[in-house]
Amino acid sequence: MTPAIEDKPVRIQEGDFSVEEEVDRIKQSSRGIGAVVAFLGVARDSSGGKAIMSVSFEQYASMALKALEALREDALRRFDIIDARIVHRVTAINPGGNIVLITVASAHREEAFRACSWCIDTLKKTVPLWKKETTPEGESWVVPHA
Amino acid sequence: MIRVLFFGMLATKTGVRETHLELKRPGATLSDVMEELGKRFALPPKAPYMLAVNEAQADPSTVLKDGDEVAVMPPFSGGLG
Repeated sequence: MTPAIEDKPVRIQEGDFSVEEEVDRIKQSSRGIGAVVAFLGVARDSSGGKAIMSVSFEQYASMALKALEALREDALRRFDIIDARIVHRVTAINPGGNIVLITVASAHREEAFRACSWCIDTLKKTVPLWKKETTPEGESWVVPHA
Repeated sequence: MIRVLFFGMLATKTGVRETHLELKRPGATLSDVMEELGKRFALPPKAPYMLAVNEAQADPSTVLKDGDEVAVMPPFSGGLG
């Protein structure tokens, strides 16, 4: 049976997600889990002194999903973890809104912390997503720091 | 013929999301295509483009063939708050 969309461990979606539901889903993957680490990226209301009304993301959809799936598989190979889940939104997101959630489960906390940190750092470098900010002056694309 | 996709600020700068190009010779590389796109759309040659061929990141020495899908992308900025 094909799993429901929200059961897929890697997703790019417009709609919001529930941190609690994602944590519950990863906990269901094994009774050997002793730690779940979650990174939640949230839209801010200012950037470099500018007021931000909303952020939105453009994606190269087919490549972005493949890159996210490869990122999860790579994390499962590199770290002594039990499971990892990643969901990233692509829509206009107001300050305080959820952008991205990475959850990592392992037997012990150290590997989950390390893997979660590696996942968000690697996502920024390997997944074709682009952020646009809307300010009172208009829209502008964000150029990431080197 | 190859398909070329632009994303983010590069779609804004070129004014198009997609274009098509004929490869000028067998063994033409991504670098050759970038040179032609640079002339056609007045793209700055030194900008830190991210390049992909058929949905996988690629470097400028990648040899292209008819039917390939090339993406010319600004540096990625997903996950940023």
